[in-house]
Amino acid sequence: MELLHPAASIVIEFSRTSKTYRSILGRSVIAVEDFSLQVAEGEILGIAGPNGAGKSTLLSLLLGYLRPTSGSVRIMGQEPRTYVQKNGIGYLPELMTINPQWRADTALVRFATLANVPAPDVSARVDEVIDRLGIGEHRDKKIKALSKGNLQRLGVAQALLRDEKVMILDEPTHGLDPVWTQRFRDIVEKLRAPTRTVIIASHNLDELQRLADRVAIIDRGRLQRLVTTGYDQATDTGGTYRIAVASGAEQVAVLLPSAHSSGDGEFEVSFPDIEAMNRALSTLISNGVVVASVVPARSVLEQQFREAVGESK
Amino acid sequence: MKSNLEHYFLWQLRDFIRERGVAMLLIGLLFGMTVIVPMKVATSATGTQLTDRMATQILMLVLPQVSFITSFIVLNGLVSTDRIRGYYRFLFSKPVSVPVYYAQAFLVSFLGYCTVFTILLALFVAFVKPIMPFGTLAFGALVFLSLGGIAFFISSLFRRDWIVLSVVLAGTWIMGSWWGQKGGIRQAFVQLLPPLGKLTGQMDGLVNRGTANPADVFHVLGYSALFFAAGLIVLHRRPIG
Repeated sequence: MELLHPAASIVIEFSRTSKTYRSILGRSVIAVEDFSLQVAEGEILGIAGPNGAGKSTLLSLLLGYLRPTSGSVRIMGQEPRTYVQKNGIGYLPELMTINPQWRADTALVRFATLANVPAPDVSARVDEVIDRLGIGEHRDKKIKALSKGNLQRLGVAQALLRDEKVMILDEPTHGLDPVWTQRFRDIVEKLRAPTRTVIIASHNLDELQRLADRVAIIDRGRLQRLVTTGYDQATDTGGTYRIAVASGAEQVAVLLPSAHSSGDGEFEVSFPDIEAMNRALSTLISNGVVVASVVPARSVLEQQFREAVGESK
Repeated sequence: MKSNLEHYFLWQLRDFIRERGVAMLLIGLLFGMTVIVPMKVATSATGTQLTDRMATQILMLVLPQVSFITSFIVLNGLVSTDRIRGYYRFLFSKPVSVPVYYAQAFLVSFLGYCTVFTILLALFVAFVKPIMPFGTLAFGALVFLSLGGIAFFISSLFRRDWIVLSVVLAGTWIMGSWWGQKGGIRQAFVQLLPPLGKLTGQMDGLVNRGTANPADVFHVLGYSALFFAAGLIVLHRRPIG
């Protein structure tokens, strides 16, 4: 497992970090166990894991909201709380815990003030993020009156109030509609900068595959796998593909006996590599089958995730 | 140049007014009225003129309850509310020192408390009898500051701080009345508890003469200040999450 990112300087470092919650009655739950990982400057790191895997605990450790039971967490070589107190972090929590009586725009003014945005710039900065996240028509509503999606957009807006060097986004597209999910992805792409480090925790593997440079797959508090994402790797290997045909479905079963029909002219077929897939497609087409689409049935990340989580169980 | 927290002072003051100030004013009024209205009715029914002495006695009747209860309302949840409701997640991802943020919140609460207390006194002066308000205000401030450090410490440690604070205050009164005069180890134990007896002992002097026993005032304020400092240490050393 490659823990050290080659080249760039290290911004975030988990070193054999463990966190155990203990109740008054002495019962203990291990949330994070012996977790080691380094995140480089300019990197977008994804964190994936099933519910209860330890993702949120990991992020709380990174913000200094929790202290590790053993091991250490460092941001730019400093204790997380020391770093955050001095520099701040662009943080979008999974739970949108903002006082429900506050107005959306005044909440942003408050956060901008705390984020050290210079007083004369606060208003313009708030207007800018409101515009960017499309919540202008909701700006004078109370937090309690906002829908889940608008609240999520407000949360993203407050994380963007300042150009932070470190950003942590926990389930950022949760509750967003498809249009804003796509827009959010564009926003994250624009956040990519040589001096900025971004961590995204998400259940959405497709999102992490698109946005992150590497994805840490965690389960039961442990780092199970560190996957380097990227187009080349995703397409140069074999795997299972979903082939949809416009006509000639009956021919597919004959020409590709290993194909599993999932109905409506769709088939799932596994290939050892890209060349084998191309040969099979060529055979289909030359025998009169009209191929409508070919898409990976599962992304590389999804396969890795299934294997990693399966192994840990 | 002002720091971000100095800029945030007015937002904290606004939160105080909305979340605690109005409640403090209403409860102070209700408490006061339960004593003052029957007195006013009785004096007007008998045709008795309300003297300065009677007005002061009425004031001293309601003052301990109003000052203790309103201080309790203002002080409970000072730190723990943000922890229980998760507001800390947004607040402290910004470049903000946790102990400084809550020390400022305490200062805002004190100023807000004094302001509302002054309004309550002004209402007393307007509707009951003009009195010199400074000693009464000083007593109210003394009650707030004496409880403040203890409440701050408890709130920084416990999520259900109002329960713990109630137990501590009730326990102090009960222990004081049981063991306060017993001598020996029991009295020594009572000496370690919050010096609430010394606090209430200042009311007469402050309200009537505008004077207090400096040693007792030093004791109650010093005791509270120690706990306030302990609360700051807890906030500095213990993660907020």
